[in-house]
Amino acid sequence: MNRYLALSVPVVAVSLILAGCSSDKGSSEETSTSASATTTTTSAAAAAPDPLAEQAAAEYKTYAQGQIDDLVVKVKVLTDAVRANNLQAAQDAYEPSRVPWERIEPLAGLVEEIDGKVDSRVDDFENVDDPEFTGWHRLEYLLFEKNTTEGGAPFADQLDQDIASLKEQFPSVEVKPVDVATGAAELIEEVSEGKITGEEDRYSKTDLWDFDANLQGSQAAIDKLKPALEKADPELLGKIEAGFTEINATLQPLRQGDGWVLYCTENDPYPSPRCTGVTVDPPTIDKLKAQLAGLSENVSQVAGVLKLS
Amino acid sequence: MTEEQPRQGISRRGFVTGALSAGAGAAVGAGATYALTNSGQRPAPAPDRPEIFVPFEGPHQTGITALPIPEQGLVASFNVQSRNRDGLTTALKELTEEIRGLMAGHPPETRDGAYPPVDSGILGEKPPADNLSIVVGVGASLFDERFGLADRKPNELETMPFLANDKLDPKISHGDISIIFEAGHNDTVQFALRQVMRRTRSDLVLRWMIDGYARGIGAGQASEAQTPRNLLGFKDGTANLDVDDAALMDRHVWVGAQDGEPEWAVGGSYQAVRIIRNFVEFWDRTRLVEQEQLIGRSKVSGAPLGLTGEFTDPDYPSDPDGKRIPLDAHIRLANPRTPETDESRILRRGFNYSRGFDGAGRLDQGLAFIAYQRSLEKGFLTVQRRLKGEPLEEYIMPVGGGFFFMLPGVTGPDRFLGDQLVK
Repeated sequence: MNRYLALSVPVVAVSLILAGCSSDKGSSEETSTSASATTTTTSAAAAAPDPLAEQAAAEYKTYAQGQIDDLVVKVKVLTDAVRANNLQAAQDAYEPSRVPWERIEPLAGLVEEIDGKVDSRVDDFENVDDPEFTGWHRLEYLLFEKNTTEGGAPFADQLDQDIASLKEQFPSVEVKPVDVATGAAELIEEVSEGKITGEEDRYSKTDLWDFDANLQGSQAAIDKLKPALEKADPELLGKIEAGFTEINATLQPLRQGDGWVLYCTENDPYPSPRCTGVTVDPPTIDKLKAQLAGLSENVSQVAGVLKLS
Repeated sequence: MTEEQPRQGISRRGFVTGALSAGAGAAVGAGATYALTNSGQRPAPAPDRPEIFVPFEGPHQTGITALPIPEQGLVASFNVQSRNRDGLTTALKELTEEIRGLMAGHPPETRDGAYPPVDSGILGEKPPADNLSIVVGVGASLFDERFGLADRKPNELETMPFLANDKLDPKISHGDISIIFEAGHNDTVQFALRQVMRRTRSDLVLRWMIDGYARGIGAGQASEAQTPRNLLGFKDGTANLDVDDAALMDRHVWVGAQDGEPEWAVGGSYQAVRIIRNFVEFWDRTRLVEQEQLIGRSKVSGAPLGLTGEFTDPDYPSDPDGKRIPLDAHIRLANPRTPETDESRILRRGFNYSRGFDGAGRLDQGLAFIAYQRSLEKGFLTVQRRLKGEPLEEYIMPVGGGFFFMLPGVTGPDRFLGDQLVK
């Protein structure tokens, strides 16, 4: 989901490794060139690092670290239930286990390949039986489409391992100020592209939990950048904060208990027996589209305003 | 898919013919951008066909009558999400400024690379002159309770009803705002669409759109020497209104001060958009004589049946029983050419579309019919009533579109589209 971020970091990492390895000079040069090319365009703006932005990056990394700790716990509730063959408990634990992930997805994606392992959708594969189809949505398919935990244990084990690996690798990930800005923007893109269509959680119909978590994560990133933005462009900050307020207000009627209504839309492209009627009507979806799009345009200006690279 | 009387006065065809007889090989006049070659039957495009920036300001939106009619067209319908009248006002201002800049070909500002680029870059450093025009209309739904505009609705503006033969798909019908883009090249159209949408993103949500290619379809001799053909293979627009004839435009296209319409609407025009699917495979299997009887014209020459010359009057009085041109032929129903039916003449400016194929493997092609008129009732709806039950219905099916009211033009740098509507 984080194509740009997920790609840029491994390139830098590879170039560092190769730069230290003189046995293959040709490819070392080639890789170094491509790595520097990704940063040249904005290097001028990076000349004087803004301490406020640096601080935002450090704080955002700490925030993400906290979410990952939570993630490990919440995922284990899910995977334990799957291994114990407790379908109801597993279904109940599915969405809560995703929320911390959805809050920090762009940053988590900085760890190579993690997104593909834990959060791929069936569309990325030829069919549901592809052994590479692992992670939450593989379990979601079993739990909500097949209504069973049978055959889920290996995928539960795998998910635990992958999340453990995320926790292990994340401390060494470099989070730059620009990652906070693009992270905030990407989370809104996530909502606009994947959640509004209902494709993310097509079996469980729990897209609104992801939707909300993406928004929270984006808002957290903007919060960290707030001191820098207050200085650089308070008007833009005002627009962004108003945008979040507006979207949260539109979502408010869709709350149910401590969660959300199932995401059942008109002419649902992913029909499910879990839906007994339309819960999110077309005018609400239109409104969300406009509000998300407006917010996206504003959030996309943040890196420029702060001259981040 | 309707038929109008030939324009009065000197036709462009007359100009071009004159140029030919004078031995001139080059285009004549600002609008006559095509010159005839060899036998005089086939005009060829002039190599130096002028591409211009269509002026934006005027008492009417200029894109409705601009010449030449460029090759590419796109109609997009939007739902307005602005919270209130102020929000709508801001959206209309932004929309106007974007259109003003786009039609003038203003190069975008350049910014620090830490920002996303201001424009998509698909037209390079500076957008070239490409006859780009953008026109904006408002649908009946804009006059509901959201913006307090109910008492300002143009008298005849309504949600397009199901008419004869219609099978309207709500997914490509109606909307709060319609925007028509036309340009010489599709990349110009796409560029403009993206810029307009980007500028208005928090207010306008795309409801449906369809694009296609026109070569001025429906414009007949008003656009070029050669009348374009629709996807049934027939010339379409032979007898369209002459957009250069201001009196004719006032009579048939522009809402006037005496029309009893809201004051803000004077200078605007009613727009009927009809997405008319053509069942082209079925059509292509139909005998030529039957095709020609259904339309009322010779397929190749465009001449009324039994006569010669595309622009010849069909002379219905000499054929009262429909022996030459059947009484239910499309052109005869659309425009019977009687004094009583003169009032129903409309200005057409649509385009052909092709958008894949259906579940039966049939091509999904047809005509994005777009017509402008001073009165929907006296114009399009009257024509449509005459066409109801025409035999051609078997081969075509209206599947979408909508009724809109084209806002009056913008007459100064401080004005914006719809300013009198929302003030």
